[in-house]
Amino acid sequence: MQTREKPGTELVPAGSQGLAVRSAALVVRGLRDLARDSNWLIKKVFTGRTPRLAISGGGQVCAISPPMRRSVQRVVLYDIELSVPTMALSVTNELPISSTDLPAAFSWSPTMHYLVAAWGAWHPALHIFDLQGKMFVGAFGEWRNFPAHLAWSDKGKYFAAASTGGKGSSLRLWETGRFAAPIAGAPANEMGAPSWIETQGYGEEFAEEGSFCGYGQTVFSPNEKLLASVVEIKGDWADDAIVVVDVPMLRKQNVFTAQGHITDLTWTPDGQKIVYCAAGQAYRLDALSPEFEPLPFGAERCACHPHLPLCLCFSSWLKNSAKGRLFLVDLNSMRVFDEYAAEGVVDLRWSVDGTKAYAVTQHGLAYIYEPPLL
Amino acid sequence: MALKSADNPVSNAPLKPEEQELALKREEQTALETELAERELRSANLHAELGAFERQYLHFVGLRYAELDELKAQISERLATEQPGNERARKAAQDARARANETKSVAGDEAEQAPRAFKASPEMKRLFREVAKRIHPDLTSDRDDRAKRQQLMAEANEAYGRGDETQLTKILTEYECSPEAVKGDGPGAELIRVIRRISQARSRLSEIDAEIQELQRSDLYQLRSRIDEAQVHGRDVLKEMIAKVEDQIGQAKRRLEGAEPSER
Repeated sequence: MQTREKPGTELVPAGSQGLAVRSAALVVRGLRDLARDSNWLIKKVFTGRTPRLAISGGGQVCAISPPMRRSVQRVVLYDIELSVPTMALSVTNELPISSTDLPAAFSWSPTMHYLVAAWGAWHPALHIFDLQGKMFVGAFGEWRNFPAHLAWSDKGKYFAAASTGGKGSSLRLWETGRFAAPIAGAPANEMGAPSWIETQGYGEEFAEEGSFCGYGQTVFSPNEKLLASVVEIKGDWADDAIVVVDVPMLRKQNVFTAQGHITDLTWTPDGQKIVYCAAGQAYRLDALSPEFEPLPFGAERCACHPHLPLCLCFSSWLKNSAKGRLFLVDLNSMRVFDEYAAEGVVDLRWSVDGTKAYAVTQHGLAYIYEPPLL
Repeated sequence: MALKSADNPVSNAPLKPEEQELALKREEQTALETELAERELRSANLHAELGAFERQYLHFVGLRYAELDELKAQISERLATEQPGNERARKAAQDARARANETKSVAGDEAEQAPRAFKASPEMKRLFREVAKRIHPDLTSDRDDRAKRQQLMAEANEAYGRGDETQLTKILTEYECSPEAVKGDGPGAELIRVIRRISQARSRLSEIDAEIQELQRSDLYQLRSRIDEAQVHGRDVLKEMIAKVEDQIGQAKRRLEGAEPSER
């Protein structure tokens, strides 16, 4: 029998019988299964438009809140499943801003305990937040060129920030846990403009086109021993490159010039290959050799499953159609399956345990991929 | 001029103000007792119905989820064995095993008999109303009596949920014969007692409403409502859910036997 405490010290039996809650998770599971007719669930996480966001492996998304009338913009965390904001982050001396044009970048720690964020409205440094303690921990890594791509390694041992914007852009690496704050101080290593990159000549009229612009999407290999980063080259027709460096020394291990601008890259679960998207086409590259192959599908975003030979992809257009799509690819057979119409996807992410995947659009629509057998 | 009756000089005497007030309050108390009994019955019905539905759901759907999660754990464990150096695969297998164990412990024992839906007979409902009217803990101001009534009311709720008519009758008879059922004297003291009982009854009515609302917001209630609504249109949603999970079980079995592609 349940009891409840009355004012005073007396414990008296409650008037009602409490219904067992042991079945709650299975009931929710049944309701979810009942609601869907495919492996995809759709949720509206936020209103408005914000192209700068990052999904966590625990089903949360961090975004700059879309500008609303009479309200300033904030960095806000949302729960994708519940479709509610869970926390707003702020730093001291934050300026009231209402513009979608300021750059922003976020990166969740692997355990989702910390979040590193950079935003044009803040002091030009990286800001780290303790999400469990709900507090701002501190700033580190002041920047001149905006660090548009941030990455934690799989076990949280390293953190990388890649900046873009021409001269002065760099790839910086920190070892975590060396100070009281998880990340602080100067980077352990830094790589500036690569000496090995050749300017892609277009003639004098194109001025700086074809020259180094900065570092883009940056991802650690699953075993934390390598780091792959996009080397961005200026110009609409220029070709980006991928550089693979060792960790923590950042010594060049491989360089590969792609065809067109690279929009995304991800390591395969075995850590041997990199899947990347360039000019709307997907490719697979050997991490430590010049071997590569175009894959039989187009994509602009890709995220490999944490331990299965699967890749979740997004393409903004479907052959013979203007519609975009999310889809899964079996990396062994290259079979495409579980396609779902979607547009404006700006980030993809698998859950830490690999049982679900999330995709979020710039308009706040979230696609949750949850097949029964993953 | 009418004379007062000699053998009962009090019967025709005008009621004193406190007696008038007491009579009014007793009427109010009687009405509240009836309402309270009705509301307790509604709450007990909802609890019993949802409890029975929960047992049915766990038996028919939960057990199948347990089987599915067991197969998923076996698939994950096999994948981890095939990739001994893959830390993520090993962790995924551990998580899948923990999930399978959790689902199994929640879904219960397969050997248990299929539970039936709860349906109270009119006689059961009448008896429960009677019990609620007579022994409701919020209808007494005596501390010891209240404790005894709380215990009996909880027993009555359990008996109602089980459909145990004999036990309900027994609870009622036992209380009726107990010394706590004897009322005290004196209109002043009685008026205070009645006013307090009315206040307690009102407060309990609000509590019952809150309990019912909480139950109606629960996922279990939502699921049962969807199943009931669909039944009106000739759909057996529970059966559809069973079929869906069985289909997934089939896929998992085929995959475990190596007949399905490895990725799903």
